[in-house]
Amino acid sequence: MNNDKYWHPVIAGFLLGTAIFISFMVAGQGMGASGTFARVTAQLAYLYDSTFAQNSYVINYLRDGNALANWTVVETVGIFLGGFLSAALAGRIKGGIDRGEDYPAFKRLFFAFLGGMIIAVASRLARGCTSGQALDGAATFSVGAWIFMLAAFGAGFIFAPLFKKQWKNVK
Amino acid sequence: MEATYPLFTTGAIDSNLNLFYGLFLGIAFGFIIERAGYGRSINIAPIMYFRNTKVSDMMVSAILTVSTWIIIASYMGWIDYNQIFIPTTYLWPYLAGGALFGLGMVMSGWCPGTAVVGFSTGKLDAVAFLLGVLVGMHTYIINFDSIIYFANSTNVGRYTIHSVLGGDIYSSYLITLVLGIGLIIFMKYMKSIRDKKGEDI
Repeated sequence: MNNDKYWHPVIAGFLLGTAIFISFMVAGQGMGASGTFARVTAQLAYLYDSTFAQNSYVINYLRDGNALANWTVVETVGIFLGGFLSAALAGRIKGGIDRGEDYPAFKRLFFAFLGGMIIAVASRLARGCTSGQALDGAATFSVGAWIFMLAAFGAGFIFAPLFKKQWKNVK
Repeated sequence: MEATYPLFTTGAIDSNLNLFYGLFLGIAFGFIIERAGYGRSINIAPIMYFRNTKVSDMMVSAILTVSTWIIIASYMGWIDYNQIFIPTTYLWPYLAGGALFGLGMVMSGWCPGTAVVGFSTGKLDAVAFLLGVLVGMHTYIINFDSIIYFANSTNVGRYTIHSVLGGDIYSSYLITLVLGIGLIIFMKYMKSIRDKKGEDI
């Protein structure tokens, strides 16, 4: 695979960091993503069953009436639009399932789903994800961000051999 | 002189304008992630096998860029560092959450932000991941009462490097530089071991 079609990671990191800095200058907070999914879930649960308004987690999100009336939610919509725009301009809207050659599609989707479930719980315990916790937090000198990041990388390295086949001879 | 930034917390802009800017900042974020190649799980997963160090290079580059800007803006009196939102640190939940996060990441090849980009370009593994995230969030919400004690334990508040070690944001900045460069060196070293073996560690 030709990787030269992508931006150099240091340049991309500089641009991403500058965007996050502007976010701090404007909103007083960095950018995130996991909170949006917690809010979408809370709002859906509440619409389906209004007794969720009493749930001790959902209650905080409904304080302003609608869990989706939130800066990070709007910003995450932006992430979707920006990703789409970039991929469309580069002719990279292709669909498909990223996986190693010969790795069964349903197994890949299953692990993506299960990994998503685990990450959801992880992001609630850690109050954020790679962006909202690791990048934003480390950049603003939060010790917790480094605890989170080093634990995530550490666990990633330890568990990596279990999932190696997913990424073997990637197409 | 009073700092003018952050615009929202100092009252210079209202919440609607703040949301409007948030949309555009998100667009920039998504655009950059896609351009860097992280709208695809096959470009994210290799970091866990030390096949390349691009993900960590980009992360450290981003962290050091933000903190350098913050130091400059703070020194110039433009931004009030104390008005910047820093998540409350919960020591044990962060450690456990981090470890679970790493497991979920190597299993799925995604994290929430990158998966939104993958979803926007039609990647079905990103869609499966995000559906899993919603189900996981629901599971967390309905079981929150049984986990609340742990989730809110070891709350140490706004826990910055200089609040722990003493000093000010400048000393925190130096330590952040050391940690960032240290992470890069560690990753390059692990990659060199992997390259010498000619296969995954």
